Amino acid sequence: MINTFPPGLIMFLGAFLIPFLPHLTRQIYMIFLVFLSALSLMNGFGTHLTINLLDYNFIIHHSDNLSFPFAIVFHIAAFITIIYGSHKIDWKENVAITSYAGAAIAALHAGDLFTLFVWWEATAFTSVFLILGGNNSRSFRAAFRYIVIQVGSGMLLLAGAIIFLYSNDHANFGKMSIDETSGLLIFLAFGIKAAFPFLNGWLQDTYPEASEVGTVALSSFTTKLAIYALARSFAGVDILIYIGALMTFFPIFFAVIENDLRRVLTYSLNNQLGFMVVAVGIGTELALNGAVAHAFAHIIYKGLLFMSMGAVLYRVGTCKASELGGLFNYMPITAVCSIIGAVSISAFPIFSGFVAKSLIMSSLGYEGLTFIYFMLLFASAGVLHHSGIKIPFFAFFAHNSGLKPKEAPINMIVAMIISSILCVAIGVFPSLFYQILPYDVSYQPYDFSHVLSQMQLLTFAAFAFICLWHFKIYPPELNSTVLNSDWFYRKMIPGVLENVIIGFKNLNSQFNIFFTKIFQNTQKFIDNLMYKNRVFDREAGFDTLIVVQVFGVVLLILIILQFSKF
Amino acid sequence: MTIKLIKNFGKINSIVLLICVILLILEFAGHRHGEFKIEEFLFFPALFGYISCIIIFKVGVALRSIFMRDEDYYD
Repeated sequence: MINTFPPGLIMFLGAFLIPFLPHLTRQIYMIFLVFLSALSLMNGFGTHLTINLLDYNFIIHHSDNLSFPFAIVFHIAAFITIIYGSHKIDWKENVAITSYAGAAIAALHAGDLFTLFVWWEATAFTSVFLILGGNNSRSFRAAFRYIVIQVGSGMLLLAGAIIFLYSNDHANFGKMSIDETSGLLIFLAFGIKAAFPFLNGWLQDTYPEASEVGTVALSSFTTKLAIYALARSFAGVDILIYIGALMTFFPIFFAVIENDLRRVLTYSLNNQLGFMVVAVGIGTELALNGAVAHAFAHIIYKGLLFMSMGAVLYRVGTCKASELGGLFNYMPITAVCSIIGAVSISAFPIFSGFVAKSLIMSSLGYEGLTFIYFMLLFASAGVLHHSGIKIPFFAFFAHNSGLKPKEAPINMIVAMIISSILCVAIGVFPSLFYQILPYDVSYQPYDFSHVLSQMQLLTFAAFAFICLWHFKIYPPELNSTVLNSDWFYRKMIPGVLENVIIGFKNLNSQFNIFFTKIFQNTQKFIDNLMYKNRVFDREAGFDTLIVVQVFGVVLLILIILQFSKF
Repeated sequence: MTIKLIKNFGKINSIVLLICVILLILEFAGHRHGEFKIEEFLFFPALFGYISCIIIFKVGVALRSIFMRDEDYYD
């Protein structure tokens, strides 16, 4: 029975036992859950579990060549994150990480849109506790913004799924078209989690507010789940190519001016998602292999970069480039791991980024998409600039900040070393890596032209940075906030609403004054009529006034009704 | 002269410079073909990488004045 359980479900359910276990047992238990969940991957491809509820077949466990590589890397990420966070005595984040990873893995195996919706929301509700784990007022507020947006994405998915079911008599999680309303709604739902341009604000806004462990977990699952969903439903949709190209392009500049290094990494994450979205948009077998390979490699090296910055944050208490520098002598292992992550993301040959990104670049070449190709090539140089150089350089070199922290805790180092080994192993043995990709495509990333071109591109981009720094042209990092698309809902809309409310208030008080005047004048008039002119020998009271006014209004209505007949 | 360069430019920087020179020389070791014809121009990736990095830097600096706010802007 347990074999037919979808992978991830056991982690999700098992997480609720975590609070009752002592610290060390808890860590072992969590790793045991990950292995138990991974066992279900052995079942092979096909539909393994459906449940009929309310006359609807929920396809709980469906596995195929697309979900399989994602499931593997999600398990690896969960395993590494658990090791990385095992120094924490507090159990709350442990529960969040295990259930979040479990929900994301289970979502990969959803065979219909409603099952997907359930897990889609489960990832939101479990991951929000990771942002709350930042444990300060900023992270508290960020968590609220995060959950509103994530649940919003879920609502779009649900609406799309209902319309899809209504018009197709089934709601299988498969190919869809954005020309239909249901497809468009689901496309938007995926787009929010994949951080499309202008829908990306939540990513840079909230991820860096989580704790050092929380951000590592967050960086692995939600966005890559969205990429998987796009690949399953919208592969080959042309507009994705352009959306993806924009995603690779814009975050580069923001990453250059951002001061918080973990936030720089979220921009870089956004940029990397762009590469995957482009590949999904191309939709050929080679490109989809590229998207999956890139997601796979990306989860590991991005996790590694977040881990190294998390270690710095844990030891120093800040991740701001303006306050860091010169940590290499104190945290050499963290620094080396960070550099391995940086060269991997920059796609230097023999590292994982190279063998993954090459698939995407080559598929662009085969399709003849010249402009997009050069945009992505430009973005590749940008990745080197902000992730490859800026992250390790400003944290571990640059100037001497006077900080003298201890090396990262041993569990963090172990997690970082595992990731580093994976980064190199994927880069050195690409043929082994390509075997787990969805399609059988023979591709050779290592040839003279390819390696030389990539090396020239990256080394000269690095050289440009060196020149800028050496000749003191590169401006110093400043404590600042960089505006992003979250500005629209954090500043613009509240600003507009505030003015509208103030306007209404003013209008209301004007109206009040106006009506009070009318009331008083009527009272005066009736007083004069009744009292001074001696119609009655008494003053017109409040009750009289109301009767008169009601009568007046009724009269007015009667007159209007009379006229409207004509 | 080499020693003077290393002294002025730093050890790591000089190594990067050396690698750059080697990569340019390697250009003549065989035919380097690209996905598109324009890529096959002499030293194209090197120039593209160098210029891209400068552009990113320039645009980044220009964007500072537009998108940069105080640290407590949202607080």
